[in-house]
Amino acid sequence: MDQAAVTALLQTLAQGLLTGGLYALIGTGLSLIFGVMRVINFAHGDFLAIGMFITLALFRAFNLDPYLSLLVAAPVGFALGFVIQRFVLARLGDRLSEGSMLATLGIGLIVSNTLLLTFGAQPQNINVPYATNTFQLGGVQVSIPLLIAGLGTALAIAGLNLLLYRTELGRAIRATAQNPLGAELQGVKTTNIQAIVFGLGVAFAAIAGVLLMPLLYAFPTVGENYTTKAFIVTVLGGLGNLPGAIAGGLVLGVVESLGAFYISNNYRDAYGLVAFLLVLLLRPEGLFGRTVKRV
Amino acid sequence: MTVTAPLPAARPRALTFGNVWLSLALLAVMLLYPFVFGKALNFGVSTLVFAGLAMSWNILGGWAGQLSLGHAAFVGVGAYTMTLLATPERVPAFLGGPVAPWWGALIGMGLAVLLAAVWGALTFRLRGSYFVLSSIAVALVLRLVAINEEFTGGSEGLFMPELPTLFGLDLFDRRVEYGLALAFVALTLLVTHLLRRSRLGYALQAVREDEDGARALGIDPARMKLVAFMLSAALTALGGSLYAVYLQAFEPHTLLELPVSVQIALMAIIGGRASIQGPVIGALLLATFGEVFRTVFASANLLIYGVLILAVTLFAPNGVLGLFRRGGRKLGTAR
Repeated sequence: MDQAAVTALLQTLAQGLLTGGLYALIGTGLSLIFGVMRVINFAHGDFLAIGMFITLALFRAFNLDPYLSLLVAAPVGFALGFVIQRFVLARLGDRLSEGSMLATLGIGLIVSNTLLLTFGAQPQNINVPYATNTFQLGGVQVSIPLLIAGLGTALAIAGLNLLLYRTELGRAIRATAQNPLGAELQGVKTTNIQAIVFGLGVAFAAIAGVLLMPLLYAFPTVGENYTTKAFIVTVLGGLGNLPGAIAGGLVLGVVESLGAFYISNNYRDAYGLVAFLLVLLLRPEGLFGRTVKRV
Repeated sequence: MTVTAPLPAARPRALTFGNVWLSLALLAVMLLYPFVFGKALNFGVSTLVFAGLAMSWNILGGWAGQLSLGHAAFVGVGAYTMTLLATPERVPAFLGGPVAPWWGALIGMGLAVLLAAVWGALTFRLRGSYFVLSSIAVALVLRLVAINEEFTGGSEGLFMPELPTLFGLDLFDRRVEYGLALAFVALTLLVTHLLRRSRLGYALQAVREDEDGARALGIDPARMKLVAFMLSAALTALGGSLYAVYLQAFEPHTLLELPVSVQIALMAIIGGRASIQGPVIGALLLATFGEVFRTVFASANLLIYGVLILAVTLFAPNGVLGLFRRGGRKLGTAR
């Protein structure tokens, strides 16, 4: 390989890893929810869209720097998730994952169509001077907003890790994931824990939306694509497996990036889907997980 | 899914009076519709096509209890196969010329069965949410192919060519399409009815209610689900061909997007899964709501779908039909 080819490969990899970091953030939220409640959240991408539109609205109204919107979007996401789990999904009770899946599908439609009514269908972006800034690193160009997004992702995931493994709340969450009944018997209020977990998952999606806003156009159905990405990440990593979700996100980012560069950019979204189907077929426990019950 | 929402167990007895009257009423409405609402035939045809699609979905989603959110894939296979084979300039050379739409529809059904066989054989080995997730992915992959390939007309889609007449009837006449759509609904009703009374139908219900229990009775759950999937796929593809004739021009976005799959599934779920008339009732309800809300909310008309899904999962897990039945029997097993 000559010099230019190596640089191009490094460039593609860097791009893939940074995008993958964002996918990891989205996938972590979904995987967290699945891990504790066994619910596949079909509204995940739509919560991301909420994050984007909060950023957009605050920028339009107060000229607020997009990254400061995190202070609004994350709590709003958490509150929204908490309320949805506590007052909607929890009411489905034992009627299991299928009912909850459908309910989240409905919530997703409500969210995206409400955004459509409020903001219109036109794709909108915000003009911040650093949106297109890059810096050079050994011939590889790195986009500044993408790098910030990557750092934000790393911080958010580290924070989640601290919460899960260093706090009493984290112990309660892990206990609820492992055995809800057992946790309940130990005095854990599992309904509250589940609401908190759903809140955290939605907050993660909203954070990802904020981090993406300087890079992308926001439109009401933008979430659909990211719901799919989150599924792919979660399945690649193993359903409910958090470290797996991070690795899955990075893998997805790199696979897409390499495929787009070396095969065809038109099929960018397809590489992840194909990887997803292959993993589903060959290693349903995910690339990094333990075995799943087979029929 | 290993377990589903409690569904009304099929009672092994003849049709109840309620069912007979309901079916007759539905049939009368459908037969009289073109004479009363001659101006709104478009609504009638599309509603019937979707009712048939919902019935087809229900074979897998209702009777076998496997939630598919990828049935748009089969609608697409049916529509694209039929149209491509009927278009002189797009027909593969070895076929020697355009294929009549009814043969094209049959070939589309065959391809759909093939797709379902491969896809089902691979995913039904697994339990849990894997089938749902795979269903979304398969439809999305087909969508990407349809958008990016030249032979499918890319993102601009396809135009329906001149079609030969069927027994002297013009396929682009809305009244003819209405008749065909009604026949499609009748076919899916018939298949569902036969299925319910058949060995396969009982096996499917057993698998849906308790997979381990079914296995203990000597039923092979993966195989039963596969058969249901293939049957469901074939009928859905037939509906897809019909829908293509109705649309006359279509693009990947109108046929292969997730909302299409959701719409089909939702009609069956809202009406009542695992019932014979449920999907038809659901289709009538949703189509009517959709039409009304299209004028109020314009492009945000799916909002009402969201509200309806939520309402049904919360308050009527067995669908609208389930509500009726529960009304008769006072608080059933739900909750």
